[in-house]
Amino acid sequence: MKKVIIASLLIAVTAVVVTSQNPVNLYGRAAQGAKGVVAAAKPEASQVGVDILKKGGNAVDAAVATAFALGVLEPNASGVGGGGFMVIKLVNMKEAVVIDFRESAPAASTPDMFKYGEDGKVIGNASVVGGLASGVPGEVAGLLYALDNYGSKKIKRDKIIAPAIEWAERGIPVTVNLASIIQDNLGKINTFPADAAIYTKDGLPYELGDTIKNPDYAATLKAIAKGGADAIYKGEMAEKIAKAVRDAGGIMTAQDLASYQVKVRKPITGTYRGYSLISTPPASSGGTIIVEILNILENFDLATYGDGTPETDHLWIEALRLAFADRGKYMADADFVKVPLAGLTSKDYAKTLAAKISMDKAMGSASADDPTKYESGSTTSFAVMDKAGNMVAVTKSINYFFGSGVVVPGTGIIMNNHMDDFALKPGHVQSIEPGKRPLSSMSPTLVLDPDGKPFMAVGSPGATRIIEAVAQTISNVVDHGMTIQQAIMAPRLFAMASGAVQLEGRTSVNTVKKLEALGHTVNVRADWDAYFGGVHAVVYDRAAKMLEGGADPRRDGQAVGF
Amino acid sequence: MRRFTILAAAMALAVAAASAQSATAIAEKPAILTAVGQSADMEMVKVLLNRSKVPFTADPLVKAASLPGGAKTLVLTVGGSSKGLGAAGISVDDEMARSKALIKRAKELGMKIIVVHVGGEARRGTLSDAFIEACVPAGDLVIVVEDGDKDGLFERLAAPSGIAVVKVPKITAAGAPLAAAFK
Repeated sequence: MKKVIIASLLIAVTAVVVTSQNPVNLYGRAAQGAKGVVAAAKPEASQVGVDILKKGGNAVDAAVATAFALGVLEPNASGVGGGGFMVIKLVNMKEAVVIDFRESAPAASTPDMFKYGEDGKVIGNASVVGGLASGVPGEVAGLLYALDNYGSKKIKRDKIIAPAIEWAERGIPVTVNLASIIQDNLGKINTFPADAAIYTKDGLPYELGDTIKNPDYAATLKAIAKGGADAIYKGEMAEKIAKAVRDAGGIMTAQDLASYQVKVRKPITGTYRGYSLISTPPASSGGTIIVEILNILENFDLATYGDGTPETDHLWIEALRLAFADRGKYMADADFVKVPLAGLTSKDYAKTLAAKISMDKAMGSASADDPTKYESGSTTSFAVMDKAGNMVAVTKSINYFFGSGVVVPGTGIIMNNHMDDFALKPGHVQSIEPGKRPLSSMSPTLVLDPDGKPFMAVGSPGATRIIEAVAQTISNVVDHGMTIQQAIMAPRLFAMASGAVQLEGRTSVNTVKKLEALGHTVNVRADWDAYFGGVHAVVYDRAAKMLEGGADPRRDGQAVGF
Repeated sequence: MRRFTILAAAMALAVAAASAQSATAIAEKPAILTAVGQSADMEMVKVLLNRSKVPFTADPLVKAASLPGGAKTLVLTVGGSSKGLGAAGISVDDEMARSKALIKRAKELGMKIIVVHVGGEARRGTLSDAFIEACVPAGDLVIVVEDGDKDGLFERLAAPSGIAVVKVPKITAAGAPLAAAFK
């Protein structure tokens, strides 16, 4: 009896210690490995990828296994009901490819399908919550396309998906981060009984230390392991998904799922101070705008200005304003709209934009310029690199945390709300059209060193902040000589074409004051703010012949290497 | 060593038991529930009130002029959220003014005020603390998930007026004192 009491008391004391720890957990996020490294938003997911590498799989095998595992371990951010982008550069490939598995608008979609109230907001928040918010998901089609076409073929599909199934059955640990996300989204979750049944305890949120099991999702993954993409896009499962979406007010049909197509695209490419950038083309704006931002910044000596100084931060703010002005005007699904990609990524165009920046005064807001005359072209992100030099970066999402809130009964699938990423009124390049893909900011990016050798795989969640987070991480390494973990941890900032500049709380007081003196309106956020994304990256140190993974303490990131 | 461990653990339990004391019934039904600081934590208190079978209406933006609206008790879910304030289209200053006016009106009407903080440590900080400081001294009962009062702020604010502070270890445990607070 005494032993039981002692054990109970120790458990209680341990629980207090656990809840008292710093949730940011700044230490131990990075990892090194001579043979392979995976850096993902959950330590368990990174381990899944590394285990696949250890078994002889290549970087794509590891990426696909990690991706399926993240759908279980970070269910608020991505999963079978969502979509994303994967950039692949294997050593035997001359050119990298981008697998675009972004959601598409259902066939019955119309530019005016969302109605506005007198308050100027979408009635019933329908572009965010409920069935109408969901695009046709592409995740399973995209991941399995990558596995079938770029995987090693040494490890079969069922073995790739098995770890995800195991986690769904065993249950995932509720971290400080996940508990907070569930609390913040409880209203949406409780709106849909199938959602609440998985992610709440009879209506109340799971708390730190709890375990969430998802046997329905395990069964769905087993069906995918056995039947491939058809298990989702055809037959009974497709009917179930479409019905659940329609029951929640949507318009998706089983035919929409059957018609879904993965797009294999040529990546956006650029250079930054001799390093080659390989990133996502439309339907993501990410790669294009990252190249544009870095092209603008290349006209300034950031290394001499130093990291986090008023001059450097000012230049970042202005470059972001200029690039985001272009993003708003030009970027859309290039399958439907002509996007001046070559102009937007042109060094000459960037020079004209850089000339608009004054070091003495904030521009306040920016308008889109004309790149055509230079024309000649609640998310997760992870990176995998192996000793052979294979590189994969993946960003995938169901959009807002817990997506549309709609869970397909009996399947554990959370449906995305990526229809909200369209311009929700007619007459814009980004307006809704059947089959069109909403504009994304997802920016999984590969970087080659000046010798053209594999250097970095990087990506981030965080909506539009993705673009800055990825670009700044690259700059921190290239311009300021930071390690990848230092680059990830450095304070971030964000600005769009207009509006206040968002600064992370650890930005120096001197910098904040000088930015204000230049005329910037600034909003200082929390010290470690998930608003600024969650970068996960792997860098190859050729001199040391060592891969270094970095992960983001703003969320639950953890790299694993071997 | 073992004796020390047992002693230390027993003391920890004793402290926990003392702080998890149940509330006495001070409030009458029905209640009106609002979110001071516009955090999503009100959703949790809605579930707790439903489970406790306390009849209530929930309005995150209810104004003083709407009181009593048939309610006899005001339940304040306290905790600031920039996102929530932004979504509601209300500034921090306006939210503070709404909250203070609401409390003032409830006092004038003789309504009991129950302050609930279920967001834990994550729902603390400059923004949340401003709302906590405005609400707790006006409460007749304060229920707080203990992770949110590691620094003793709630107890310090409640002590001068002798306001009962019930600390609970988890969100789920907040239901019992909340239910017990209603006659």
